[in-house]
Amino acid sequence: MMTDPELLSRYNYDEFVPAKFEPWMRFAFSPPLGGPAQDFPLWHLDGRETSLAAIWSHHTYTVVEFGSFT
Amino acid sequence: MNALAERYADRRVGSIFIYTHEAHPGEHYPHLTSMEQKFKHARDLRDILGVTRPILVDALDGACHRAYGSMPNMSWIFTQSSVPVYKADWTDVHSLENAIEYFLGVIERRRSGERLAPFRVERLDHRIQDQAAFYKGLERNGPKAVREFRAAFG
Repeated sequence: MMTDPELLSRYNYDEFVPAKFEPWMRFAFSPPLGGPAQDFPLWHLDGRETSLAAIWSHHTYTVVEFGSFT
Repeated sequence: MNALAERYADRRVGSIFIYTHEAHPGEHYPHLTSMEQKFKHARDLRDILGVTRPILVDALDGACHRAYGSMPNMSWIFTQSSVPVYKADWTDVHSLENAIEYFLGVIERRRSGERLAPFRVERLDHRIQDQAAFYKGLERNGPKAVREFRAAFG
């Protein structure tokens, strides 16, 4: 798992101020529709590892919502 | 979103929630510093906020989230063959349901013999803005989250 400390602290910003959250609003640079999607490892709540591709391979379509408690 | 997932589950449409980073860290839910903490916050999302869809936790550096645009509450739809066919910089159940119905309709149209080719479309959809519920959520995170949001957006 990636452990670059500088990236970890920038991504997991400690306060909601524009200088810290605005750099992550990168939807305009997100992958285009229609091409192959990049796969990533993900973890179930019990710690079991899976992947995005493993999830979407089970369904005709898969809706993926990104977010957090806050 | 939970109800949407249930409505389409028997039509081979899956739904998941990917846990990213804390958009509005507060005293009760501070910024993430470990996977253990990230799993704990994700379990609270399930247990306190009642997310019934499968919750999958992204890496601590948000590798998946960052690759797809790292918006705080965006939604995507992927096909079984790894093709993204819908993306929205925010999550709205009406927009998603409209897209799901369209894509399921494409399958039916192909089955009935129509020859279809994909094309790209842009559309400006509309989501409900519930300020009271939003601030209630910020308060749940802690007073710091409320202060910082007010300072950023007035």
